[in-house]
Amino acid sequence: MELRGKKIIVTGGVRGLGRAMVDKLTATGAAVTVFDLNREGLDELQRQSGVKCVVCDVSDYQQVVSATSHYHDAFGAADVLINNAGILYSEPLIKITASGVARHDAAMWNKVLASDLSSVFYMTSCIVDKMITTRTRGVIVNISSISASGNAGQSAYSAAKAGVNALTAVWAKELSPMGIRVLAIAPGFTETDSTKEAVAETTLRETIKRVPLRRLGRPDEIAEGVLSAIRNDFFNGKVMELDGGLIV
Amino acid sequence: MPQVDGAVENLLSEVLQVPASTITENMAMKDVAAWDSLRHMELIVSLEQFFGIELSFDEIVAMQSVGEIKRVLRERGTVS
Repeated sequence: MELRGKKIIVTGGVRGLGRAMVDKLTATGAAVTVFDLNREGLDELQRQSGVKCVVCDVSDYQQVVSATSHYHDAFGAADVLINNAGILYSEPLIKITASGVARHDAAMWNKVLASDLSSVFYMTSCIVDKMITTRTRGVIVNISSISASGNAGQSAYSAAKAGVNALTAVWAKELSPMGIRVLAIAPGFTETDSTKEAVAETTLRETIKRVPLRRLGRPDEIAEGVLSAIRNDFFNGKVMELDGGLIV
Repeated sequence: MPQVDGAVENLLSEVLQVPASTITENMAMKDVAAWDSLRHMELIVSLEQFFGIELSFDEIVAMQSVGEIKRVLRERGTVS
């Protein structure tokens, strides 16, 4: 797919990997719209880059229905949806503390599943609905993670991303006959604020030692992978791991 | 110009995995368990490829029976 002029939605595009994708996509001449719940961040992004911005908590189905409906009224069917929004959260299933055993926070489990998995389902169903009815041959890009294979200390995040990989395979089988490709990009540990906030510095240093390239990925490298996957019309139903060679 | 009679039955037979001889004009999606929405999409793609056309969403929705499929194809003027 040629990106110039294409209507592309990036969820969670205000910062981190999403922002890197927005910058690269706008440079190609694509018509980018960012869905994000960070209103101030969206305002700043709009001032800086001129992309269209939509305030939306993509983990809330009603907000997604409303926001995508307005988008379709204004622009018609999107050509590409990049499901990037989500939260990186680390907590072991059981913590042994001085006062005894503590279980994984159930509320955080639900929050991570809503942000990282349900949001992908909500956005994709609403966007693909319009693609199908207008016979738009689009692309769905799901941002997964190498944690999908099971990263110790990340029950919720790993489960959500494994779910994202499963949805990628299911939807590719269901939608590709209609010309809609579905694929995933699974970054490894990447230099973002989210990584720094969710992963302890000592853990990160140890992780870097296990990366064959001995460094973290850069957001622009992940974004480049996303662009490459969109452009390649034969890449479909699979997860591209961009992790410097790290195996979790 | 491709013949609609026979071609539709053959394509539907391949998609639903049933003998073409069992497919009648009145056979409808609602009466055949195997003819679900996923199989319907497969059928649409098969029809588009065979007849070299692109169907609109309204046409896809209208094609709920063998008779309706043939009607839409004839209206498109791509078949005889």
